[in-house]
Amino acid sequence: MLFVARRLGFACLQLVGLALLVFFTIRAMPADPVARLVGMNASREAYLSSQHALGLDRPVWVQLVAWVSDVAHGDFGRSWVSGAPVMQEIGRTLPVTIELITISFVLAFLVSVPLGMLCALRPGGTADKATFVYSLFAGSQPEFWWGLLFIYIFFAVLGWAPAPLGRLDPMLRPPPVVTGFITVDTLLAGDWVAFRNGVHHLMLPVATKVFVLSGPIIKMVRQNMVRALGSDYVLYARASGLMPRQVAMVALKNALAPALTLLGALYGYVLGAAVLIETVFSLGGIGQYAVRSVLAFDYPAIEAVVLVIAAISLFVYLVLDLVHAWLDPRLSQ
Amino acid sequence: MPAETPILRVRGLTVAFGGERAVAGFDLDIAPGEIVGLTGDSGAGKSTLGLALLGLVRPPGRILGGTVELEGIDVLALDEARRRRIRGAKIGLIVQNPRASLSPLHPVGQQIADAYRTHEGGTRAGAAARAVDMLRVLGLNDPERRVHAYPHEVSGGMAQRVLIAMALGCGPRLLVADEPTSGLDVTIQAQFLDDMWQSARRVGSAVLLMTQDLSIIANYCDRVVVMQDGRRVEDAPTPRFFAAPAAAYGRTLLSLRREAPPAGGDGPVLLSVRGLRKVFPLRRGRKVVHAVDGVSFDIHRGETLGLVGESGSGKTTVGRCLLRLVEPDGGEVTFDGIDVRRAAPAGLRRLRRQLQVVFQDPFDSLDPRWTVADIIAEAIEDRPDPDVLARLLRDVGLDREVARLPPRALGLGDQQRVNIARAIAVRPALIVLDEPTSALTPLARVGIIRLLRDLQVRLRVSYLFISHDLSTVAHLSHRVAVMYLGQIVELGTRAQIFDQPLHPYSKALLAAHLVADPSRRRVDQPQAEALAGESPSPIDLPPGCFLAGRCPQAEDSCRAARQEVAVLADGRALRCDRVAAALA
Amino acid sequence: MSEMLEALHPPPAQVARPMPPALFLLGCGIVALSLVMMVVGPWIVPFDPGRPGPDIGMAPPSLGALPALAWAVLRGLPHAPVHWFGTDETGLDVFSRVVAASRTDVAIAVGANAVSLAFGSLLGLAAGTARPFLAGLLMRVSDLLQAFPVFITGMILVTMAGRSELTIVLALALLYTPIYIRLTRAEVLAQRHRGFVDAARALGRTELWIALRHILPNALTPALIQASVTIGLAILMTAGLSFVGAGVRPPTPEWGLMIADGSNLMVQGEWWPSLFPGVAISFTVFGYACFSNGLERYCAR
Repeated sequence: MLFVARRLGFACLQLVGLALLVFFTIRAMPADPVARLVGMNASREAYLSSQHALGLDRPVWVQLVAWVSDVAHGDFGRSWVSGAPVMQEIGRTLPVTIELITISFVLAFLVSVPLGMLCALRPGGTADKATFVYSLFAGSQPEFWWGLLFIYIFFAVLGWAPAPLGRLDPMLRPPPVVTGFITVDTLLAGDWVAFRNGVHHLMLPVATKVFVLSGPIIKMVRQNMVRALGSDYVLYARASGLMPRQVAMVALKNALAPALTLLGALYGYVLGAAVLIETVFSLGGIGQYAVRSVLAFDYPAIEAVVLVIAAISLFVYLVLDLVHAWLDPRLSQ
Repeated sequence: MPAETPILRVRGLTVAFGGERAVAGFDLDIAPGEIVGLTGDSGAGKSTLGLALLGLVRPPGRILGGTVELEGIDVLALDEARRRRIRGAKIGLIVQNPRASLSPLHPVGQQIADAYRTHEGGTRAGAAARAVDMLRVLGLNDPERRVHAYPHEVSGGMAQRVLIAMALGCGPRLLVADEPTSGLDVTIQAQFLDDMWQSARRVGSAVLLMTQDLSIIANYCDRVVVMQDGRRVEDAPTPRFFAAPAAAYGRTLLSLRREAPPAGGDGPVLLSVRGLRKVFPLRRGRKVVHAVDGVSFDIHRGETLGLVGESGSGKTTVGRCLLRLVEPDGGEVTFDGIDVRRAAPAGLRRLRRQLQVVFQDPFDSLDPRWTVADIIAEAIEDRPDPDVLARLLRDVGLDREVARLPPRALGLGDQQRVNIARAIAVRPALIVLDEPTSALTPLARVGIIRLLRDLQVRLRVSYLFISHDLSTVAHLSHRVAVMYLGQIVELGTRAQIFDQPLHPYSKALLAAHLVADPSRRRVDQPQAEALAGESPSPIDLPPGCFLAGRCPQAEDSCRAARQEVAVLADGRALRCDRVAAALA
Repeated sequence: MSEMLEALHPPPAQVARPMPPALFLLGCGIVALSLVMMVVGPWIVPFDPGRPGPDIGMAPPSLGALPALAWAVLRGLPHAPVHWFGTDETGLDVFSRVVAASRTDVAIAVGANAVSLAFGSLLGLAAGTARPFLAGLLMRVSDLLQAFPVFITGMILVTMAGRSELTIVLALALLYTPIYIRLTRAEVLAQRHRGFVDAARALGRTELWIALRHILPNALTPALIQASVTIGLAILMTAGLSFVGAGVRPPTPEWGLMIADGSNLMVQGEWWPSLFPGVAISFTVFGYACFSNGLERYCAR
């Protein structure tokens, strides 16, 4: 329990530190959001009034205090680009990304773990070598380019996939928003057609992500499994006459437990890098929102996006790390 | 031995790794209830053989051929399902590194119980209870509680008992024990081997005991088999083997017995240590560990002082304090008239060249990116003459070609010779040798012992020889100091300590020490001086004698008063008020 | 991506990898090629990467025509300059731009790593040898930096510091420095208690001498292996940033930028302006991955 509390506390501290850091960093940059909004030829009065409207004429400390107190009340301010509350925009875009990432992760896991384990059973064999080269290759690919390639092949040439214009066919009516996840919401609304359409649209982005994710996951599973299968304790379990099923369970638990922490780290990284896939497929997730905000120097949106993504990454990382510690008693000492 | 059907009959067993044969046409017979010792240098194939008897092999090895008949049934000819049923039930295995052989994620009790249930069926609770009983029989205190521990939480000795519980629990006909005591302290080793021997005798199992330690074989085995390059090169009853070993391996290892122990060592006092103290604070809380607690001794020119003790005795810390690799917290250290503790950095650097060190792990002590020439040159300030280097290498028994090699190209024994060469390069007056042979194979150990003796005579150098291995200490030391939990409990000449120990701990240590002489077997002697239980934790030391909780002759006065060192009539120092009073 | 994982948690070297030496040689070859291209690329191309020509949106030569053309070039026969990769819709030769872009991408990646390696190693050495309080502080700051979402932070830094090659180098260097700090510190801590360090002290060597002659060289090896991985990562990042418009400014030739420019065309069937830059990235980063894997296996021996 103490262990959990300590990790949780540390994560909170990290978030606070992050918030402060991002706040000061963007203000320390030479970019001028006011100039961007009012344009190059604006008059001095227009510039000053704009600056005042954005709250940037106050001393930095005042801005900080105001922002911190707002955030403490759950208010991330209004976007300087759209004027809408940032919280609302994030609420709209975040689920898109989470849905994409989570489905991709689950599928990548389902594909990579058996493959990694199979390779570990015959290390050095042809299948193992081939899979190794594949995983090395897949893990070093520019996913946005592969997204485009998939679109070219499966949409432009073969016509199997829909046009990369978002999550649903523009002709269809989107379901009422409950969770924000297209798969869940369409099912909740009982709209089969929309559900299938949504899945159809997710096909290519998920395939691209699974392709790239499978590289490191296969490598990691294989490595852990080889280590477990070649370990002294597996050898000894066999020497004690344990049944193959029992030996396999021991090996599996020992192989997958260390993978959890790494998966948590990977999830966090991928969450931030979802930008690229979202842009290629026009999905409207938080990654695209981040791009728009950064290019427009939209301070409140930027701060909120960084914090939200970091919070989710830290949370996922923490949960998986805790599960790992629960499985492996050596970690909580 | 009556001619019964052998329990085990191996013919032509061959195991290969790629193109190389680890076991090449091996033959062996073991009679029921017999204890056979299998020995040979590392790499001879012993562990591979042990696994192959169960029909197992470490990947990527393969069993190429041969028969392994266990009570008439060829294990290798069976299908895997039937072989699995034999493992653990008819043949038990214990291996060298017990903690690594247990799954780190499961409690030890569960692992034992799973093994039982696989062979005997039954409920989970029943198997768990059996596991607890077995551990109690094996000498473990409080097994009900300790059964829930995880492998990384238990000591080496307990982990090894867990393996025995798994291996012997179903009453196998043959127990294969592969270096079961490596890494264990002397007293634990003796207890463990006794327990294993008795359990095997009681269950009626035959034992194949694989070890490089000939003293274990002398004390516990009926027969000796020597393995070399995968083949059997000698097979003799124990008394005959030790009287006249045929194969080269045995001859080399036993060659030191006939040689006289070192003489001399009576020059003027070179190093004087008085009341040395070192305390390590713990990371959490205010507790401290008294690693070194009032240690005093002298070393004369040309003498070797052996410092013996088990793990946690503080002997390594003493060595590091002398060199000021760790700063002592109290006491005086005088070297050649100079106060070592108060020396300024420049003086200390000069002083250090008189005081050298050789560590336990030969490879760790060599910078892997340097060549042997660089390593030795580091000791000699300027660019050394290649002839000077060659001479140094020759002094330690190495060819001059070795100079251009990196450390990883050498075996551990040769690496240690390089360490020694670096130490003697500056012609020091004293060398602190911290377990210099513990990491080496027995064969390499013989070479290093000879080398050290030779160098001492030629260079008139003194040694502080720190070790837990009493045989090695006996071969090299003029005087011996015994340490327990940070204190010297007895200090005397080699003859005094080895032939007539006075302190209860020294007695127990020497009783547990196995001698490579089958006519003086431990199992044949009465177990008089055994110490009960385990050492107290170094964090919570009792107020009186540290041994009082375990000493069979402890009295109330021992528990109350802190024991001080008394100098006896024959010149030795003894920290036991009771015995000193009795002798006065 | 896998490189990022390894950056966070380097695996132990003992685990067997079925790395055929052929793959390592391939990696070496690609790395060498990329570095050569970085230096001489823009000078050896057939067309000026910045000057549009008359042929707009011309496809690359068909597979049937290729052998004859290749033969003509190799024999040195006079021939019209060939658009090996076709031209984009502004008339720029794709092949020349792909080769010229290698300078941009590889130089940024190498530069960023050189800076972060230098800083990270020194800070790691400091963290490994300084007093616990200072070391702890340094590590907390480093951890904090690592908690940032990498890509988005990269976007922020580059866009708001002005999008130039220099800012990209500095931004990436900042993002990668914590990796090197962590790596070097772990190595230094491990090396400090090695036997040869104590033996050197026993010989009377000063702490500074030991740090420079023993600790640092041994601690740098893993960092150099890491660098070969992170260079590939940096190329992916640079391309990604430029793709979304938060990286290099046009008209500088850059692989990600070229892919972005050609992305609309791809959907319409004109595949060559986006394909070849992507092939270049794919090939190059794969090469670095093979190289670093082989290097790691070699050093673990």
